[in-house]
Amino acid sequence: MPSFTLDGQQVPYEPGDTILRAAWRAGIEIPHYCWHPGLSVAANCRMCLVHIESGRQMAMPILRFDQAKQTYVPDTKPKLMPACQFPAGDDLVVSSTSEVVKTAQQHVQEWLLLNHPVDCPICDQAGECKLQDYWATHDQQMKRKRTEIVHKPKAVRFGPTIVYDAERCISCTRCVRVCDELVGDHVLDSRERGNRSEIFVAPGRELDHRYTLMTEHVCPVGALTSRDFRFKARVWFLKSANGICSGCAKGCNMHVDYDPRSREVERLRPRDNMDVNQFWMCDDGMMSYKAVREDRVLTGLVGRGEARERVAASAALAFAVERLSAVPADKVAFVLSATASTEENAALARLAEAMGSVHLYLAARPDWEGDDILRSADHNPNRAGANLAAGHALEESVEDLVSDLLAGAVGAVVAVGADSAEALEALAPMAALDASVVFASNHGVLSDAASVVVPIASWAESVGTYVNEQGRAQAYRRAVTPPGGVQEGWRAIADLAEALGHGLGVERTEELMPMPAANEAAAAAEVTA
Amino acid sequence: MVADYEPILSSRYGVPDAHRLAVAERNGAYATAKKALLTMRPDAIKEEVKKASLRGRGGAGFPAGIKWGFLNPKEGDDIYLVINGDESEPGTFKDRTLLNLDPHRLIEGALITCWAIGAHKAYIYIRGELAHSIAILDAALDEARAKGYVGARPFGKNYPIEIFSHPGAGAYICGEETALLNSLEGRRGEPRLKPPFPAIKGAFGMPTIVNNVETISAVPDIIRMGGETWCNLSRLAPRDGGVRLYGISGHVKKPGVYEAPVGITLRELIDDYGGGMLHDDRPLKAVIPGGSSTPVLRPDRMVEAEAEDHPLHEWHGKSEIDVPMGVDTFRALGTMLGTCCAIVMDSSVNMVDAARNLMRFYRHESCGQCTPCREGSGWLQNTLEEVCEGRGRPEDVALLVDIANNMMGNTICAFAEGTAMPMLGMIQQFHQEFVDAAAAGLPEGYRHDDSTRAGLAGDPADAVADGASTDDTSTDEVTA
Ligand SMILES: Cc1cc2nc3c(=O)[nH]c(=O)nc-3n(C[C@H](O)[C@H](O)[C@H](O)COP(=O)(O)O)c2cc1C
Ligand code: SF4
Ligand code: SF4
Ligand code: SF4
Ligand code: FES
Repeated sequence: MPSFTLDGQQVPYEPGDTILRAAWRAGIEIPHYCWHPGLSVAANCRMCLVHIESGRQMAMPILRFDQAKQTYVPDTKPKLMPACQFPAGDDLVVSSTSEVVKTAQQHVQEWLLLNHPVDCPICDQAGECKLQDYWATHDQQMKRKRTEIVHKPKAVRFGPTIVYDAERCISCTRCVRVCDELVGDHVLDSRERGNRSEIFVAPGRELDHRYTLMTEHVCPVGALTSRDFRFKARVWFLKSANGICSGCAKGCNMHVDYDPRSREVERLRPRDNMDVNQFWMCDDGMMSYKAVREDRVLTGLVGRGEARERVAASAALAFAVERLSAVPADKVAFVLSATASTEENAALARLAEAMGSVHLYLAARPDWEGDDILRSADHNPNRAGANLAAGHALEESVEDLVSDLLAGAVGAVVAVGADSAEALEALAPMAALDASVVFASNHGVLSDAASVVVPIASWAESVGTYVNEQGRAQAYRRAVTPPGGVQEGWRAIADLAEALGHGLGVERTEELMPMPAANEAAAAAEVTA
Repeated sequence: MVADYEPILSSRYGVPDAHRLAVAERNGAYATAKKALLTMRPDAIKEEVKKASLRGRGGAGFPAGIKWGFLNPKEGDDIYLVINGDESEPGTFKDRTLLNLDPHRLIEGALITCWAIGAHKAYIYIRGELAHSIAILDAALDEARAKGYVGARPFGKNYPIEIFSHPGAGAYICGEETALLNSLEGRRGEPRLKPPFPAIKGAFGMPTIVNNVETISAVPDIIRMGGETWCNLSRLAPRDGGVRLYGISGHVKKPGVYEAPVGITLRELIDDYGGGMLHDDRPLKAVIPGGSSTPVLRPDRMVEAEAEDHPLHEWHGKSEIDVPMGVDTFRALGTMLGTCCAIVMDSSVNMVDAARNLMRFYRHESCGQCTPCREGSGWLQNTLEEVCEGRGRPEDVALLVDIANNMMGNTICAFAEGTAMPMLGMIQQFHQEFVDAAAAGLPEGYRHDDSTRAGLAGDPADAVADGASTDDTSTDEVTA
């Protein structure tokens, strides 16, 4: 691979790389605001200016104070180049740390804060703001401008999800480019000129496409804030776990940011994965963390409707054992789930096998609207994983289960996950069963139809694996601990198996992850995520 | 005054109704275009323009013949000619005289140039405030179209050429060629990243030649006379050829636009063309040579070019305003010829106040894309306001230099340099004035023109600060 010299170090590059991209790939940071690896080059912030040693001097002079003459005299300086725009090339000797570069960086940094309100104490970006970071690394001086800043609109509602503060904006146009280039919706642009510039929403529009939160995500400062996350948490209190979005079969990689003190998930952020979601997530995916808090099953539930009672999880499990024991083992139907982890599905499939039941079904959410950006029409994160767990493609749906119940082919149901495409009315035969046991983290049609609901941990509270539409098995890690008394799904299922006399003999989640024959390599690589 | 000089470029300025096609044609218009399209190969035309050493009249002074040579169209590419009539640089008012008084010269130049570079379409982008000029040009284009000179078969030749006028919407930055292209395409008028340069990827993504109105208007004469003959009209031939329009404004008796050979001196321009200083008791203090973006010169500063090989050696020891006005000579002098429209300031002018006035303009016009320009132009103005209002500090002079030094070379387009250069130039030339103002504000009674200003409705400074544009007083009077 060809390479160039950056600050005395050899940096390899690929054809078409700019200096900044090559450095970024090599894990070397050249300070930058407007450049984003997933967007076109705007080269407007000028933070990434570097000195190309073979480059020319400026044609027109600058001034230097001559002590002897006690006046200003002409001087020259090298022409600096934006690293985000300048193509990498052999034999280039580049400095991003020389004195002239440092001077340029310091000035850009000072300028960006010149008309900035510096309201970090009330800004949600504080703690992960490039203005703060680069001030500390590249400026460290008091502002020299003495007068009031240029005042601009604040707290402007851009749409249902995003609020804009023009005074904090550094006009880097990342948000404009994310709308133009990722979404293909030219809904944002700059208006006004000079230091009155601001971003605005196209007249007659709102910022309301499917990826609005990506504008906030790419905004390097606190100009765009998410209405959901605003004023909710200080980011330095947050910790992060690697997650996989449960929204659809795309399987976007994400950071699950949680507050370890309250053990609450506060937000999701895309985690870069060039093979899956690149740098992005859709708004529905970004908001999917709400399921960790809302509509949760937190206790065992026994009975239905008005008569439904809350019991301890262990009591619910005992109830389940009692009910299921009354039905012949091979008459028990097992409903795997396209929304549950591969491990949870595998636990259930193993139990079915141990009980000698061949009645496996797959519950799934109905399709939603996909697009050719990220979103898969399959609203389920793990259809492929459920099939993998079953050892074959699950052809029978919940609708088939209802027919089989009516036909008397099966007499009891054990399901993991509460989501299914059917309306509750369509599940009447299941809702009539004495023995219909659902392991669920959240309420859904299946848990509504169940006679016994056993609470289990949500994805944010478990480790597990989803297999996406590409056949990539992607593991996610636990962010927060489950609510008191609630176990991870596979463990609850294993407990049931044990109690039914069909112990699975599994100690760790990993033992449940069947290695896919067809795409072993991809899976092996990803499971270590 | 150049003795016995017969105007060439502005030969029809004195002819009544020369903006009418019939009148212009009686006075020579379109004969050269007809000859060029019907009898000359494009390469031969390009060769003449190269020989003419026609330096771009839009400010940068790039040789037009060489620029045309950068075209390297791919199969299936359309080539465009874009003519820059945005003319918004303070102190610059020459292109509009061509548009107002002799639009057919520009149209003729556009026809020849289109044929030479292989373009079938030309856009003339005109500063929106020049509504009068736009109306005249549009009427001229209509006449040329009706006559068949513009259209499917110019002069009967099977080579369609369409010419469109396009009004700007009131932004100085749209004179920068790539901002102009964005504006032309209906986008926000802000400069593009270069490379690619317009000759490779310009209007609508196609190879494009952008030239100033005056540059294109010079083409018919070059083809009529032959490049070399035209070139040699210049006192600075062969590097900087021909004749050009000189503008002069400020404290002179006869401000206006005058045609003269390339290479007259600022002193000639002021005394011979401008009629000398306006007030006998107020001597010349400084001249901004070519539009507000060019560093100021002082009559009492002498050229220091002792070395034999110094490009200005010939003028060593002479006043800065005795150096011939040329692209290369003025660059060697540390300034630029720019648009060749001088702003003359007499002893009544306080340079700090003049700087503040200029920086108000640049702050208002910066497109705001890049940090150094967006914030630097505003901060320069802000600092100068403080200094002028007596709230300055001694260190403010160094601050102004520091801001301007760091704008230089660090931005997407040359606007920031056009802002920083005059700032640095003023401090270099009038350091003490800045030191004094930083210590104590502007001197008492510095504005000899206060009576004139009082006559204006309201304070123009407020209008600028409010974001409203001040009235544009265009100068149509021209003495050829
Ligand atoms: C800020 C800025 C403003 C400009 N304004 C004008 C203008 O009004 N008219 C013009 O012809 N060129 C203007 N230019 C120069 C153009 O970018 C370009 O160089 C010119 O149109 C090329 O034509 P020429 O080679 O014939 O001079 C401007 C440049 C800058 C940086
Ligand atoms: S809102 Fe944020 S992303 Fe958009 S231009 Fe301003 S600083 Fe950049
Ligand atoms: S595209 Fe699918 S996986 Fe990606 S964020 Fe959206 S819902 Fe989640
Ligand atoms: S230098 Fe100024 S005018 Fe030019 S692109 Fe940058 S901000 Fe805009
Ligand atoms: S990163 Fe903004 S100019 Fe290069």
